[in-house]
Amino acid sequence: MTARPVSGVQSSRGLTGLLLVAVPVLLFAWMTIWPILSGLARALTPEQADGSRPVSFANFVTFFSDPYSLANLGITLWTCLVTLGLLLAICIPLALYLRFAQGRLATYVQTMAMFPMFVPSIILAFAFIRVLGPNGTVDLLLNAVGLPKIRSPYLTPWGPVIGLVWDNIPLTVLILVSGLGAVSNQAVEAARDVGAKPLALFWHIILPRMWTSVAVVVSFTMLGLFASFTLPYVLGPASPEMMGPFMQRTFRDLRNPEMALTQATVTMLFCIAFGLFYVRAVARNRES
Amino acid sequence: MADLVLAKPRTDWVGIGFAFILTVVIVVPMLVVVIWSVSNVWRFPSVLPQEFGFKFWQMTLARSDVWSALTMSLSLSAVVTGLSALICLPAAYAFARMEFPARTLLFFSFLAGQAFPKFGLLVAIAAIFLQLNLIATFWGVVLIQLVGTLLFMIWIPVAAFQAVDRRMEEAARDAGAKPLRVFWSITLPQAAPTIGAAVLLSFVGTFYETEGAWLIGAPQIRTMPVLMISFINNQPVIQYAAVLSVLLWVPSLIALVFTRRVVNSGSFARGFGA
Repeated sequence: MTARPVSGVQSSRGLTGLLLVAVPVLLFAWMTIWPILSGLARALTPEQADGSRPVSFANFVTFFSDPYSLANLGITLWTCLVTLGLLLAICIPLALYLRFAQGRLATYVQTMAMFPMFVPSIILAFAFIRVLGPNGTVDLLLNAVGLPKIRSPYLTPWGPVIGLVWDNIPLTVLILVSGLGAVSNQAVEAARDVGAKPLALFWHIILPRMWTSVAVVVSFTMLGLFASFTLPYVLGPASPEMMGPFMQRTFRDLRNPEMALTQATVTMLFCIAFGLFYVRAVARNRES
Repeated sequence: MADLVLAKPRTDWVGIGFAFILTVVIVVPMLVVVIWSVSNVWRFPSVLPQEFGFKFWQMTLARSDVWSALTMSLSLSAVVTGLSALICLPAAYAFARMEFPARTLLFFSFLAGQAFPKFGLLVAIAAIFLQLNLIATFWGVVLIQLVGTLLFMIWIPVAAFQAVDRRMEEAARDAGAKPLRVFWSITLPQAAPTIGAAVLLSFVGTFYETEGAWLIGAPQIRTMPVLMISFINNQPVIQYAAVLSVLLWVPSLIALVFTRRVVNSGSFARGFGA
């Protein structure tokens, strides 16, 4: 190969490289870019009785004037915000602990925090019902000590929230701990030497260095929660329902792909800012 | 927090608190599932089952729907992972080692799928599959699950190929080895452990993939997670779903053992944009 002229080698290798990546790139384009564009196009061109497809916002007008669709969008937003708030409230202290603590206890806490990553959502859903559902473990224990049963969160909006928080703890902690790597021990010790209280330390030294990873967590979980299906479908209420089960039902049970595409487009538009931010963060990390 | 950084010798109450809460919240639910799977009789007011035993293991394993779902899940995962490796590993090698037009753009284009809520994207794909008559077919589910593995099966192996020591390859080439021989004897063995982890993660991820299988495949294509959903929703005998949960867990535990190193490394978190 070295005997050949350099330019010839490069162009033939360039072609080989393109050919090697062609199949996954084309498959990806056909199964990601194309469906999004064609879905948007179909949602914007509702089929008329005569079979023609003029451009109109009729599908979106239908969506945003239908109280049931709006209630579903509302419950989705509510679930996202509550889940996100709980996740940050749980995972920021956990990540701070894991960043600064050492020893076997810290290793144990980390192992526990990572464990849900290896529990498939569907097993989690079943475990949730057996523990918090009617006559579940919590009811059994309360009953054993003579206390009344709980009002089960199963099939209420709190069901998906609890399941989604549980499911998302590992990645949130991983991302936050990785972000806390930017806080140097010296900075913390220096602040403490001049008498900074823990809260001031957190507020002035640690938090400013955490913003990026918090923003990544927010966009990553918003994308994941907005499109979650399994946990809301199994644990959540039948009405109103989150966008995932709603789209699935519109597509499969009501056999209305056009309206399902409209719903999908609405969820994508709601997530577009988070999506762009998240992709930029991942790409920037990969480049460095 | 001051306690955490400064006073190491003092009792780590914060750690004990976290360890206790996490144990209760994470281990107990899993334990309950395992206990349900080995209880022959467990009626309401009793805190523990009235009768332990493996009766429902036999009954679950005797069900034909469980076996057909297991076969379906295993064959789907094998076909998807095999196809994914076949098309992604050569592409990963090209991304890592070759110069070609638009290389960076194409490499990062695989991220585009991450910018959208996944279920919205699935519905958009399903609408196209509806026109192509791929709904409720084996190959429809293969395609949708295959796309889910692309990012993983390209990005992780690219990192693996990039981590291979170029000097060893050059030394082998100087000693007269042909390019294919260098790839086979030097490059591949060094990249293999990470690529193996990617293949394993893609197999396990496909095995548990629920949403695509449910949206595209149901009711004809019944994987283990899809069967599990119908057990949860429609099966009055709790133990069936409990036994199925424990069975379903096995691939995940294998993944836990073999990929812990990859997951605990910082590069894994960075892959998610941390």
